[in-house]
Amino acid sequence: MKPCAETADEARVAGSYLGARVNALRKAQNPDGGWAYFPGKQSWLEPTLFAALALHGEPEADRAWELASSWQQKDGGWRPSAEVGFPHESTALAVTVAASRGEFGGPFQSGVQWLLGAAGVESRLYKRAILRVGSMLGMLEDQRDYSLEAWPWKLETASWVEPTCHALVALKKAAPKIPSKELRERVRLGEEMLLNVRCVDGGWNYGNRTARGDELRSYPETTGIALVGLQGRPELGPAFDLAAGMLRETSSPMARAWLTIAMRVNGISVPAHEASLTPDVLITALEALGAPEGNHSLLKAAA
Amino acid sequence: MKITRRELLTVAGAAALGGYAAWDARRLAPRKLAGKSAVAVVKAASYTEDLAAKITAGIHECGLDVRGLKVLLKPNLVEFDPNTCINTNVAVIAAAYETFLRLGAAEVLIGEGPGHRRDTYALAELARYRTDLEHFDSLFVDLNRDDVSPVMGFGDRDRIYLPNTALRADLVVSLAKMKTHHWAGATLSMKNFFGLVPGAVYGWPKNELHQVGIPESIVELTRIFHRSFAIVDGIVGMEGNGPIQGTPKQVGVLVMGSDLPAVDATCCRIMGIDPDKVEYLQMAADRLGITEESRIEQRGEPLQGLRTNFQLVKQFQQLRLA
Repeated sequence: MKPCAETADEARVAGSYLGARVNALRKAQNPDGGWAYFPGKQSWLEPTLFAALALHGEPEADRAWELASSWQQKDGGWRPSAEVGFPHESTALAVTVAASRGEFGGPFQSGVQWLLGAAGVESRLYKRAILRVGSMLGMLEDQRDYSLEAWPWKLETASWVEPTCHALVALKKAAPKIPSKELRERVRLGEEMLLNVRCVDGGWNYGNRTARGDELRSYPETTGIALVGLQGRPELGPAFDLAAGMLRETSSPMARAWLTIAMRVNGISVPAHEASLTPDVLITALEALGAPEGNHSLLKAAA
Repeated sequence: MKITRRELLTVAGAAALGGYAAWDARRLAPRKLAGKSAVAVVKAASYTEDLAAKITAGIHECGLDVRGLKVLLKPNLVEFDPNTCINTNVAVIAAAYETFLRLGAAEVLIGEGPGHRRDTYALAELARYRTDLEHFDSLFVDLNRDDVSPVMGFGDRDRIYLPNTALRADLVVSLAKMKTHHWAGATLSMKNFFGLVPGAVYGWPKNELHQVGIPESIVELTRIFHRSFAIVDGIVGMEGNGPIQGTPKQVGVLVMGSDLPAVDATCCRIMGIDPDKVEYLQMAADRLGITEESRIEQRGEPLQGLRTNFQLVKQFQQLRLA
């Protein structure tokens, strides 16, 4: 793997690639300032925040942040849309966007505290006991270490790869402003959990290595997301070879976008890729972020 | 797993109490259903047969009138593995789409929200839905990322958010796959409704349903989407470590009906599974539908001669039908 170095031709292709996506995002923005997953539908926090990152510094991103800020709840968490009444893992994305905007005030602080207070139910004492009994009775064959606290999609549910990765990015970006031992420990545990659920093929799926004793295979999109969450870990070298292979083979635009972002965030060059625009707003935003001149660096822990 | 014996003993009592409380909170109607339910079993040896004619026959056998209805076809699209048969075959979806339109449905859409994979359209392409179903992109709704509305009451939760496309449909057609399931025993038309729950709210996987309880969630979704019809793709099913890692099982049937518990109980009997031992069918019996064999009016093919035992994982050996 080589460090990032785009040729002039690649940059030209990428320029139009990025421009098309930025234009599409501008056109798809809802009147409330947010974005839906698909044009013409309700705004959701996830596409709104990824679009805001893709358009970072533009007026559209400011409008998006204004809407997103109104969705923060009293407990510091963000709900996933105006219609849904409970906080969600997208809180991590909101913290990342706040940090990217240099806004480290109350909303950012309470968002970080919400993340520090959120953990998958499996790491609770009574759940670990139930899981141990299940294991002793032969009902569970997986060897996951449930003491490794990580993040769920929704409170009172189990932790999984994707929300854990987004929380890790958010907390790593928050670390310089909140240099607490608790934060460092949650980052350590979260990274250990990701390494603990890594599939035998070296990549990641949603967060289970096995099902009823049979090995499960990894997915390209979650492998990309995991490599963003684990950025900076020294033992990931072979995972990037796997990711490069997945990038060549996958037919999923979302997987391609996440793998590209993962490579760029980790300083690895990615060949320019021609792809047609999709009506899927989230994928469009991820593709814009992953473009050579895109804002992928906003997902860097140190950025 | 790192936990001490002392920790284990400390929480054992609390866990038992918690389980009782969750059971007590279920919103299930008392047993009251009387009468009989019709289930149609139609033979189809392969996906190249005239499946539209067979589905039409099954719908007529069950007396379903779809004229003027907004219909949502809900296939089982989970993952893709070219070496096995995880998903509802595209030929069954195409035949159902053609049939419901021909029988006078006002609108027929296709919707699904896969539980593990986020790029639904890419998955639909691998499963040949996008290539083999004409105008797929304009007919398909990714239920994981649809607009949502709250529905009050779901197991021990006060509400669940569900996709508007499914809530607004006059009829949700569960186009399920006949498979074993390593947590539920069997996944058929009722379990297929897990794909109606939006990932944008509950994540990938939709672990909320496991926390509420898998049988409880299956029953609750069947209760909420009671305006439904089932077409189970049992032409080639899956046995063993289903719903993803099992192996193909040739059965050669389509099983249909408006009473989803009755359809699933019939499928179980075909698979050599005792429906009385499948927890979600026990819970649904006489509340949401009929599962008792003597009260299911078998239309089309008789069950005799159709039974073909599906391999079961060791944890579900006790489900085997005597």
